[in-house]
Amino acid sequence: MLGIALLFLLALTASAQAPSTGGYVGSEVCKACHSDIWVNFYKNPHYKSIAAGTLPPESTGCEGCHGPGKGHVEARGGKTTIPRAFSLMPTKGILDTCLTCHAKDLSRANIRRSSHTLADVVCSNCHSIHKSTTPKFLLARKQADLCYSCHSNVRAQFEMPFKHRVNEGFMQCSDCHNPHGAFAPTTRVGLRPRMMEQHGNEESCVRCHTDKRGPFAFEHPPVKVEGCEGCHVPHGSMNARMLTRPAVFTMCLECHNGAGNFGRQGDGIKTQSGSHNMFDPKYRNCTTCHVKIHGSNTAPNFFR
Amino acid sequence: MIAMRALAHASILVANLLGVAVAQQVVAPTPESVGTPRGEDIGGYNVVHSFETGYRFADIGGNRGKYRSDVNFRNGLRLLGSSLSVNSKNGQGGMFDEIILNTLGLGNDPYQFANLRIQKNGLYRYDMLWRLNEYYNPGLTISDGRHFRDTSRRLQDHDLILLPQSKVQFRFGYSGNTQDGPGLSTVQLFDSRGDEFAPFADIHRVRNEFRIGNDIELAGFKFSWLRAWENFKEDTSYLLGSSPGANPEDLTTLDGFRRIEPQHGNSPFWRGNLHGERKSWAVNARITYVGARRNFILDETAVGVVRNATNRQIVAGGNATRPTTAGDFSISIFPGERLSVVNNTSVYSTRINGDSLYSEVNNNRPSNQVYFQFLGIRTITNSTDINYRASSMIGLYGGYHYSSRVIRSTENFSIPAFDIAEGVTARQENHVHSGLAGLRLRPAKPLTISLDAEMSRADRPFAPIADRNFHALRGRAQYKAKSLLLSAGYRQNYNTNSVSLSAHSSRARNYSFDASWVPRGWLAFDAGYSKIHLDTVSGIAFFAGGNLNTGLSSIYISNIHAGNFGARFGIGKRADLYLGYSITKDTGDGRSSAAPPGTTDPVLLLLLPAQTFPLSFQSPLARLSVRLTQKVRWNAGWQFYNYHEKFLVGAAAQNYRANTGYTSVLWSF
Repeated sequence: MLGIALLFLLALTASAQAPSTGGYVGSEVCKACHSDIWVNFYKNPHYKSIAAGTLPPESTGCEGCHGPGKGHVEARGGKTTIPRAFSLMPTKGILDTCLTCHAKDLSRANIRRSSHTLADVVCSNCHSIHKSTTPKFLLARKQADLCYSCHSNVRAQFEMPFKHRVNEGFMQCSDCHNPHGAFAPTTRVGLRPRMMEQHGNEESCVRCHTDKRGPFAFEHPPVKVEGCEGCHVPHGSMNARMLTRPAVFTMCLECHNGAGNFGRQGDGIKTQSGSHNMFDPKYRNCTTCHVKIHGSNTAPNFFR
Repeated sequence: MIAMRALAHASILVANLLGVAVAQQVVAPTPESVGTPRGEDIGGYNVVHSFETGYRFADIGGNRGKYRSDVNFRNGLRLLGSSLSVNSKNGQGGMFDEIILNTLGLGNDPYQFANLRIQKNGLYRYDMLWRLNEYYNPGLTISDGRHFRDTSRRLQDHDLILLPQSKVQFRFGYSGNTQDGPGLSTVQLFDSRGDEFAPFADIHRVRNEFRIGNDIELAGFKFSWLRAWENFKEDTSYLLGSSPGANPEDLTTLDGFRRIEPQHGNSPFWRGNLHGERKSWAVNARITYVGARRNFILDETAVGVVRNATNRQIVAGGNATRPTTAGDFSISIFPGERLSVVNNTSVYSTRINGDSLYSEVNNNRPSNQVYFQFLGIRTITNSTDINYRASSMIGLYGGYHYSSRVIRSTENFSIPAFDIAEGVTARQENHVHSGLAGLRLRPAKPLTISLDAEMSRADRPFAPIADRNFHALRGRAQYKAKSLLLSAGYRQNYNTNSVSLSAHSSRARNYSFDASWVPRGWLAFDAGYSKIHLDTVSGIAFFAGGNLNTGLSSIYISNIHAGNFGARFGIGKRADLYLGYSITKDTGDGRSSAAPPGTTDPVLLLLLPAQTFPLSFQSPLARLSVRLTQKVRWNAGWQFYNYHEKFLVGAAAQNYRANTGYTSVLWSF
């Protein structure tokens, strides 16, 4: 019933687009006063719409984003006379204005339900159209600085001894995350993980860690069910393999305890065999023998 | 008007200064620029170029392997950073309208990077990203250093879009990823009572991906498809000569070991996406299919002595497949300016099949085994999110998510020579209900407050540490004025997953406070503090001393205090000085030794050292940058790293201290 109602609503609103209301004066008029913005605007990706010279006035130049400028010109300036002055607009208005052109990109397919949108973090919080520090994506600051300005707990993780090299400039947050919202995760269930960019339809980790992707004849099931975060802390960790525990054997034993209805057979994840003697230090480094712990093609116990 | 513009400029300057000050980075390359280079106008193009070149040094004391694993900066000449931009001044260039090139760390830094964009408006856009990571890890924490890797990983991505501004676009792409270098692995020979040996591994992995796609806009909808072919091959080989093994008292010795295990495969990929958006609604539908396959063989020969002379050869071969389909449909409606409702349904289905024929010959006694495994995962998720903006001061949002996951498993095993065949099949289903509610407040323009809470219930999680009864609380407040930024945040994630004979509890709490202050154009400060607390208790069972020990708990307590401070001074008109300090300290559970003195219970001696891992990692830095001319800067910097573990957990201390630094010249024109 909900689907039928939504489709009916779609049909009713399909032709409800607002037509152009006129009042456009063209970017040439704007530059007379806003020469400071205009002087380098040819370096701005949005300049393409002006250079093309074929787009209608509501889709090009200054008025493509800020709306028709006739009233602003007649009032001889003033922020309140700009139809779409971003510093005065409600956040949804900013989002809607940018998505007029940018909604079509696949990377923004989930922006309406993203955590950022729900928290009122919209385009202008991260992007600066006229004073950007990065010419490609018009970010207001370097990407990591932008993300850290809200996610300071994540910054603390990237300052740990072992981490993915974001501060060093080798990686960016967007290598793994989509700040515009992501498709439903393929590992775990529920609301998390959030905003994870996918590689095909798998976790983004395997894009670089190609040897962990498989498929393997013998998969370690939690890799596909719980995801890499089941054992690893991806931002940074006190452990040199970014494991969730400082000693590998406790991490393994916390699942391999034989209890409950867990695991692929649903009867508990099996405990280690009786041949192990944990009082002997050599058995405390599980991956010394179970070397192919992410998945193996020849050994169900991941020996080779 | 002029006053307003000046004010806007000032606020942007302050914002940029705040941005510069927010995050402490590695000392080089120098973030300060010479000025705003105007570049040169050449033939209708504006060209701006800068590069920073200099010498980087490092003086390391203590555990060099751990330093290389964590930091890895070393001595040598470097092109620390460079940038080039060429822009057509009227957007009507000949072969191109824009070239942007940025590089980082070229010359032998462990982290190297280059990106390039070339585009001609309306005709094409080409993006390239190249990265190199000199990776070093001695595997101290997973095998007491017996694992080791000293490899280079090169990644490259190339994307070409034809007709990027038209309603019909064509996409072509290539991505490459290679990993080469020496390493050590370990192998247990000849059985579980034997010894560990560390064969040399010649690591060689190559991944190539080719992409082709097309976007079509029609009747207000955009349809895009992408076809990709990923090829992967790994040809790592392992070799070891005569070795007594890791445990000298053990009688097992090795005369020789050799293993080759090539695995090659591909992952063809399809993706289709349909998107449409109007003023009051939007839809997006996506489907992806990845049909992954790997073919493998293994040939391993080991000759040695275990209680008596042993020769063993293992030959295995087979293939593994994993077709995966994911579908996703979102519909958004906007009944008014204040309300957004988004409903999303997604389906994920994967089937992992593996066949492996395993043959082992021990002193001419053959055995032959066949393994077959199947793992299938199907997840259906439906979610509805509502976002309501009551006024400019108050906003509310909430959501309900439901997931159903089915996991099917088959494990078959047979030994044809003895007519033995066993098979186990199983099916399980997990249902998850999650709710989210949030509140946004803006009581005054510079002040924003956001609060949200999330609760989730799963009836049959897959793993004992997975989410079963989960809740999260998050709160954040930010005050942002022209020269001052203050923010505070709190996050809490609690989970319990307790069943018969097993209890798991995880409690994580994060607190953070940050401040940035720019009292003058030449003076900026920033400081931050975060506390990351985690305590977990999990039921475990293990064999030790010939007994199965049950009813014990694995406890882990971590209290990480992370602080950073930065101050930037403009000295006169020519010099900039930056001083920074960061410290990350895990105080653990407050104990001063791995186990209390006098502890003799072997179980406690096993578990206590793994319950906490107190350490500190601190890094002060200083950087001076002097503008020599309108186009040239001289820079020098120093950064110190100090890693210190409070007590020994592994076989060897990993502590190190390192003085690193650089001096460079930055030239912009």
